[in-house]
Amino acid sequence: MTNRKLYFILLVAFSGMVFLSLGGGVWGAGQSINHWTGVLFQSVCHQDPTRSLYLYGAPMAVNSRCFGIFAGILIGWLIIPLLSAINFKNKLGLVVLLFAVMLQILDYSGNLMGYWENTNLSRVLLGGFLGVAVSLSLSDFFYNHNQT
Amino acid sequence: MEEEIQTQEDPKYGIGDYMPSAAIVGVIFSLISFATGLFFGYQQINSEPTGSFFSPFMISSGVICLVSALAGLLAVWHFTKEVSPKLKLGQGAVLGFLTGAIIAILSVAFSELWILLFDPEYTEKILSSLIANIEEMELPSAQKDDMIDAYAEGFQQSSLRQLFMGIPITGLINLITALIGVKIFAEKPEEKF
Repeated sequence: MTNRKLYFILLVAFSGMVFLSLGGGVWGAGQSINHWTGVLFQSVCHQDPTRSLYLYGAPMAVNSRCFGIFAGILIGWLIIPLLSAINFKNKLGLVVLLFAVMLQILDYSGNLMGYWENTNLSRVLLGGFLGVAVSLSLSDFFYNHNQT
Repeated sequence: MEEEIQTQEDPKYGIGDYMPSAAIVGVIFSLISFATGLFFGYQQINSEPTGSFFSPFMISSGVICLVSALAGLLAVWHFTKEVSPKLKLGQGAVLGFLTGAIIAILSVAFSELWILLFDPEYTEKILSSLIANIEEMELPSAQKDDMIDAYAEGFQQSSLRQLFMGIPITGLINLITALIGVKIFAEKPEEKF
C-alpha cells in the first residue's frame, strides 16, 4: 500500500466527520442545530430536521443525504485496503463518480419539481453511493505503485 | 546538481507556494457563496411562508455546498497551471484544506461586512421569515418550537464561533475534492524500470 500515512490520517478524519455528524443526540442534547456538532456542519448542510435521521431523540447534525455521503466516504475508504489486497484496477473510478453526482442532481431536481418524493432512506442510499464513489475514485493512489 | 534533480523529481512546497492558488480560488468561491446566499436570503425574506422544505434559504444551502466543494478541485487545477504541474497527493490535500479554510473565513467576513455596512437588520429579517415558514410546517408543535428556538439561538451565535467551527468540515470537503483534482490535473510521475 502506498501513501499509507495520508491514508490513516484521512481515515481518522473521516471517522471523526461521520461520528460528529451524528449530532447532538449522542451528547445528550435535544437538538443539533445550535449544538456544537451542528455548528460544525452548518456551512455545508441545510440541517433541516424534517429531512434528517434521528438519533437518541435528536436530529443528526446533517440531513440524511449528507450523512449518506459522509458514511459512504468512510465505507469506501475502509474498502481501499481490500482492493489493494486483490490488486483491483479501478479504471472507471471517475466515470462512476460523475454518474453518482448526476444521480444526486437528478434526484434533487426531480423532488424539487414534484416528479417524485424522495425519502430519508433513498437519500441515504444515493448519498452513500456518491460517498463510496468518491473514495474509490481515489483508491489507486493507495496501491498503484506508479503514484507516490 | 543532484539536489536540483531531486527538487524536480520530488518537489517540496511551502505554504507560500500554495497561497496564491488557495487565495485566488478561495476569494472567488467565497464571493460566489456570499452572493448566492445573499440572493436566496432576500428571496427568503420577500417570500410568503408556505411550510415547504424548499424555501429559498434551504435551496441556497444545497447550491452553496455543491459549488464551494469544487473549490479544492479548482485550486489544484490553478496550482498545476501556474505554479508546478507536479503535485503529490499529500500536497494536494494541504492545498485543498487551505482553500476550504479561506472560504470558511471569508464567507463569514463578507456576511458580517454586509450586515455592518448595508443591512444591519438582515439577520433578523431572515430569522423572522424562517420562523414564519416553520410555523406553517406540518410538524408537531413541540418539534416546531424546538426548531424555532434552535434557529433563534443559532442566528445569535458569535461570528467568531461560526468562523472557527466552519473551518474543519469545509476544509475537509475541499481536501477531498482537491485529491480528485490531483488525480485529474497533476502530472503523473514517469514509470521507472
